[in-house]
Amino acid sequence: MIHKTSPDVGGMGHSIKRKEDLRFIQGKGNYVDDVRLPGMVYGHLVRSPYAHARLKSINTENAKKFTGVLAVITGDDLAKANLAWMPTLSYDKQMVLATGKVLFQSQEVAFVVAEDRYTAADAAELVEVEYEELPVLVDPKKALDPDAPVLREDREQKNNHIFHWEVGDRNATEQAFQKAAVKASVRAFFPRCHPAPLETCGCVADFNRATGKLTVYMTSQAPHAHRTVFALVGGIPEQNIRVISPDIGGGFGNKVPVYPGYVCAIVASLTLGVPVKWIETRSENLQSTGFARDYHMMADIAADRDGKMQALRVKTLADHGAFNAAAQPTKFPAGLFSICTGSYDYPNAFCEVDGVYTNKAPGGIAYRCSFRVTEAAYLIERAVDVLALELKMDPV
Amino acid sequence: MAKKQLVRVKVNGRERQAEVEPRLLLIHFIREVLELTGSHIGCDTSHCGACTVLLNGKTVKSCTMFAVQADGGEILTVEGLIKDGQLHPLQEGFKEEHGLQCGFCTPGMLMSSYALLRNNPKPSEEDIRWGISGNLCRCTGYQNIVKAVQFASGKAAQGGAK
Repeated sequence: MIHKTSPDVGGMGHSIKRKEDLRFIQGKGNYVDDVRLPGMVYGHLVRSPYAHARLKSINTENAKKFTGVLAVITGDDLAKANLAWMPTLSYDKQMVLATGKVLFQSQEVAFVVAEDRYTAADAAELVEVEYEELPVLVDPKKALDPDAPVLREDREQKNNHIFHWEVGDRNATEQAFQKAAVKASVRAFFPRCHPAPLETCGCVADFNRATGKLTVYMTSQAPHAHRTVFALVGGIPEQNIRVISPDIGGGFGNKVPVYPGYVCAIVASLTLGVPVKWIETRSENLQSTGFARDYHMMADIAADRDGKMQALRVKTLADHGAFNAAAQPTKFPAGLFSICTGSYDYPNAFCEVDGVYTNKAPGGIAYRCSFRVTEAAYLIERAVDVLALELKMDPV
Repeated sequence: MAKKQLVRVKVNGRERQAEVEPRLLLIHFIREVLELTGSHIGCDTSHCGACTVLLNGKTVKSCTMFAVQADGGEILTVEGLIKDGQLHPLQEGFKEEHGLQCGFCTPGMLMSSYALLRNNPKPSEEDIRWGISGNLCRCTGYQNIVKAVQFASGKAAQGGAK
């Protein structure tokens, strides 16, 4: 006889009811746009219509004169306070507001703060920006051409290559391929996809001048990492920053990176001494925040006639957009090698990844926690199917 | 700025009024003027349905209409579903059948389902899927949302709801 507890006691055999559901089904959730603080004002970003252009001039006079506008911040303003760039979670840095040039369409150029969100959006249209268009690179293969325009002029390295990562035994793998009776190859492109959580990104930054403490309410999947970045950028000791991540309307990886809007709201709150809310529109979310994938992958398997696999070779070209802001727990595309080699018995394997810059929004995030697992699993299973076809064997 | 206009509505049974800019979106009126933050903004373009409310008995996507267009109307939002402390069968269904994850689409899903059950108290699974086809759930929990609506429909059939 199976002993079962009563529904009141719960436990084995009973489904667990979620504590938060009672709030959510009654409209009593507390998402970031529901946060409303006394004296709160609103920020709106001016964004670049071009994917690659030199900034000739920015005129904020008309926007500043608009009734209800409290501040207009540009990249040059931030540069004076050494705030124009921020660190990413991937050993790179990213412009908070553009200085010199813009590197992707919808890049953040200026931040307008006003008494309400409609006024902020109106005044953002009054910011006059003069651009000089530059050649646009969207193909990561072309970005590696020796004569390709150098996108990131801030780097010492004068090309568009971000990183090279390799693991495994290159020589042993090559030798196994030279001797192989049968080879199977797959070339696969995993296009960019956007996590698109139903709630867009946003925050309320509240700097208290009396206590010197900063509270940031934000829809964040990585509040601790964000706090560290805010401390590094803003020069506020980390213990004086509190990040409150209220209810989150989905993330799927999109809410791990640090976005310029957060830093702009913090700077505006530091400057004005009042809470500043910044909430993205859906278009802004899709155009400027973390994409996933954009991987060009090649897999080759070497095998004997009887189907015994002898080696695996994987080469990946990773398009990370204008700034390497990928969110991953290590320097390397985490999990990729383990997944590539995990399901089959390869005596030899070699895997390499090259990351490159293009004129696209920063990408490379872990969509639904994939950490490149999805890409690798699909690639390897396709390659094994192709090998089975070559061998006239049942792929299953 | 254009001259403000008076908007009077009955929201969840209560008379409310405010002077607003003619361009103020209904969702901003509901969320920021009336301070009913249960309805959400997901896409600004009437694709996602997170802002769905009932206006004069019909579902509308409140991000794509002006508050002044609702003048004189009767609005029902997610906050108005509970009656005398009793959850609506749909709310019970969402809770019992795990019809939500992050909860952001939930208010819109509830309102679309509410309108569906009023017109069609015993919907088929296909009817339910049509009924919520204007609402997106990015956690992609549609299966349990359908079950939640079936739960409510079944409960109503037993006489548990109006």
